[in-house]
Amino acid sequence: MRNTILLFSMLFLSVSCTAQNTPDPEPTTVPYTLCNPNATAETQQLWGVLCAQYGEKSLSGVVANIDWNTREAENVYQWTGQYPALNVFDFINIHASKDVNQQGWLDYSDMTPVTEWYNAGGIVGCMWHWQVPANNGTNMTCSPGTEPGETSFDASKINDPTSDAYRRMVKDIDQVAGYLKKMQKLGIPVIWRPLHEAAGNSTEFAGGKAWFWWGAQGPEVYKQLWRFMYDRLVNYHKLNNLIWVWTSQINDDEWYPGADVVDVVGRDNYYALQYPLAKEYKTLKTTYPDKLIALAECGNGDDVDMSLWSDIWAEGSRWSWFMTWYDYHYNAGTSDEHQFAGEAWWQNAIGSGLVLTREDVKRLMK
Amino acid sequence: MKVKRYIALSVCILYSVFCTLYATERTILIGPKTIGKAWKDNIVLEARHFADAKVGDVLTVYNDHAKRTAQGAFQNPTNWQGIAPEYAYFGINGPFRMTLTDDILAVAREHGIAIGGHDYRITQVTLSEASDYQETIVWRGPSVMMKNDWSVNAEIPGKAFVHLREGDAIRFHISKAQAGAAMKLSDMTWNVLDPSVDGVPVGGDAYTWYIYDQALQLKLQLAGNTMNTAMRVGGKGYCLDKIGLVQFVGEVSEDYSEAQRAPKEYILQPGEIFHGEKLFPNDWSGNLRISAAPFQKCTENDVLIISYTLDPTAKAAGVTPQLSLREGRNWSEITGAPEPIYYPLDGNDVVYMFDAVALDQVKTRGFILTGVGFTLTKIEILSAQ
Repeated sequence: MRNTILLFSMLFLSVSCTAQNTPDPEPTTVPYTLCNPNATAETQQLWGVLCAQYGEKSLSGVVANIDWNTREAENVYQWTGQYPALNVFDFINIHASKDVNQQGWLDYSDMTPVTEWYNAGGIVGCMWHWQVPANNGTNMTCSPGTEPGETSFDASKINDPTSDAYRRMVKDIDQVAGYLKKMQKLGIPVIWRPLHEAAGNSTEFAGGKAWFWWGAQGPEVYKQLWRFMYDRLVNYHKLNNLIWVWTSQINDDEWYPGADVVDVVGRDNYYALQYPLAKEYKTLKTTYPDKLIALAECGNGDDVDMSLWSDIWAEGSRWSWFMTWYDYHYNAGTSDEHQFAGEAWWQNAIGSGLVLTREDVKRLMK
Repeated sequence: MKVKRYIALSVCILYSVFCTLYATERTILIGPKTIGKAWKDNIVLEARHFADAKVGDVLTVYNDHAKRTAQGAFQNPTNWQGIAPEYAYFGINGPFRMTLTDDILAVAREHGIAIGGHDYRITQVTLSEASDYQETIVWRGPSVMMKNDWSVNAEIPGKAFVHLREGDAIRFHISKAQAGAAMKLSDMTWNVLDPSVDGVPVGGDAYTWYIYDQALQLKLQLAGNTMNTAMRVGGKGYCLDKIGLVQFVGEVSEDYSEAQRAPKEYILQPGEIFHGEKLFPNDWSGNLRISAAPFQKCTENDVLIISYTLDPTAKAAGVTPQLSLREGRNWSEITGAPEPIYYPLDGNDVVYMFDAVALDQVKTRGFILTGVGFTLTKIEILSAQ
C-alpha cells in the first residue's frame, strides 16, 4: 500500500516538478528530470521534494567531520535546536575502511551513521575526495603534482584497461559502489557528488590549474572519467538511488559532463558573500536552465566571512541547498569558534524561515 | 699603583656595564600589532636590531589574544617564506621564540625579520643572549629515529621533569631531520599535550617547547620522580637524541629607547574599512588588499574617502606620491580602463565615487590599493543615502 502511494506521488511529482516563484530571470516552467530513468521510487520522491522546494526555500546541509559521521549536524542542533536537512558523507578514507584494510580506523561498510540519519528523516549525501597513492608511495592524496606528497596519477588511463591506473580506478569505484548499493538496498536515496571542483582555478585566471588529480589532464579526460563512473555505477552496478551533482567552477562549461549524466549543478564557494554568490547563481541558472543549482560547499574563507543566509537570499540567490564545511579543530575541542559556519550564522539561517530543516523534510517526504 | 687600580676598576665597571647592557633581555619592538586572520598581517623587525646580535641569541615574541588555532611564523622579508623550514608556521601558546643561527642572522642583518601568522596580537618582541638561558640535560637517549609513518615514540620518564617550572622551556635535540619532519608530543595516555606541538614542523638541531602555563607543568609532573612515562615524543622524519630543560637566568632591560614602535591600530568605526598606519614605500612594494565584504550593500554614487600623510622621504628619493585602485584579482584598473589610473597626492584626501563598473568590481572581489610615497591612515565609505 505504501509502495502504491509512493508510486503515485512519484508519478505526480515527476510530471509536475517545476520551479515555482523563482526570481527573475529564471523560467518558471522548466521541468527538471532525473537523468536516470530507472531511479528508485525513493529517489524520485526525494527529487520531487527538491524540485518542489526549488526557488521557495533552500535545504540546509552540512558535511561530515572528515568522513563517516553526523558530527557537524549535531553542532547545528546544539546551536539552533534543529538538525539540518542534509548530511553529506565523504568517501575520502575508503582505503582505511576496515572491510578492506585490517589496520583501518573506520568502517564504511557499517551503515549505522547513514541509517540513523536517514531514519530520523535526514537526506543523505555522499561526496568523494578520491585519494590515490602519492608519489612517495606512502601517503594517499588527491593533489596532483610531482612533489613526494602529491600524485602523478593519470586519469587518462581510464581509457587504457590494461594499465594499473585503470585497475585502481575501477577497484575504487567498485568499492564505493558497494557502499552505495547497501544504501540502495536500505531504500536510501543519495545526493551523489563525485569528482568535484575539477577545473580548479584553471578557468579563473592565467596560470590557474586543477587542484585535484581528476582534473589534472584537462576537461576531455575529466568528462571521460565522469561518464565512465556514471556508466559503471548506474549501468554496471545498477545503482538507481543516485542524484548526480556536478560541481562547476564558473565559466567551465567545457568541463560539463553533459545533461544526460548530471541532475544538479553545484558550486563550491568560500568567498561566500551575497553579491558574488548571486552573480554566480544567475550565471549557472542561465547556463544550465534545465538543472537544479545548489551551493554544494560554502563557509567562511580566508578573506571574508560568509554573508548571513538572510542576506544571501535577499540578494536573489535561490540555491536548492547549501552545505557548510566542517571544522576539525572545533569538533576536536581545540578551537572555540567554528572556522566555516558557527552558531550565529546557523541561527540566522534557521531563524530566517528561508531554509528547510530535517523536520521540515521529514514532513515533506511523508 | 693607584693608577693601575683605577684602570682595573674602570675596566671592571665598563665590563660590568657592558655585560649588563648586553646580557639582558632587551625590547626591540613595542606593540600592539594585531596579526589577524588568513596570514595577511605581519611586521618586519628592522635590520638595525640585529647589528650586534650573535648566533645563539634568542628572539622572543610576547603576545596575547591568541586563538587556540593561532599560528606564528618567522619569515624572510624578501620572499615571505619561512626564515628556516621549522619557522614557516607553528602553533602559538604563550610567548614564542627563535634561536638565531648563522643563516638567520645573515638575513636579519640585511633585511630584518618578519613576524607573521594569524589570529594573535604581538605585545612585545625582545632579544636576549644565549647565556641568559641555562640548559640542563634531563634525558640522554638512546637516540630514537622517528619513522615516516609516525609509528615510533620515545617514552620520557617523569623524573626528567621534576625541576620543571612554569616559564621554562624544554629543548629537544634532534638530528637527521628530513624535509617534512614533524614532532608530536603526547602524555602518558596518548593525548596530545598541547595543540601547538601536535605535528609541529621541526628542523635543524633542536626544537624548543615553552611551558607557558602551570597546567602543562602539572601534566608533565603527574608521573612524579619516577621512571613512569610522563611524555611520549613522536612524529616523523627526525632522530631524537636528548632533551634539555632550559631556564631563563638573565635580566630584563626596561630601556625602550632603541625599540621599534608598531604602527598605530584603531578599532574600526562604522563606515571605516581601514584605520591605522600603513606605509607605501617609494619602491612600489606597498599594497593593501580590501575584501568585497564591506561593499556588499553599497550602491552607485557611494563615495570612498582615502586619507593619508605624505612620506617625507619621497621628495628626496625623487618620487611623486600617488596611488592607484586596482581590481582585486588581476590588478587591472578598478574602473575597467585599459591602463591603470594614478591619482597624484597633494596632501588632501582622495575622494572616489563608484560608477557601475567599479561598484560591481568591489562588490565582487574587493580592490587593491597600491602606490608610493605616503602613509595610509584611513579608508571610509560614505553612503549616498
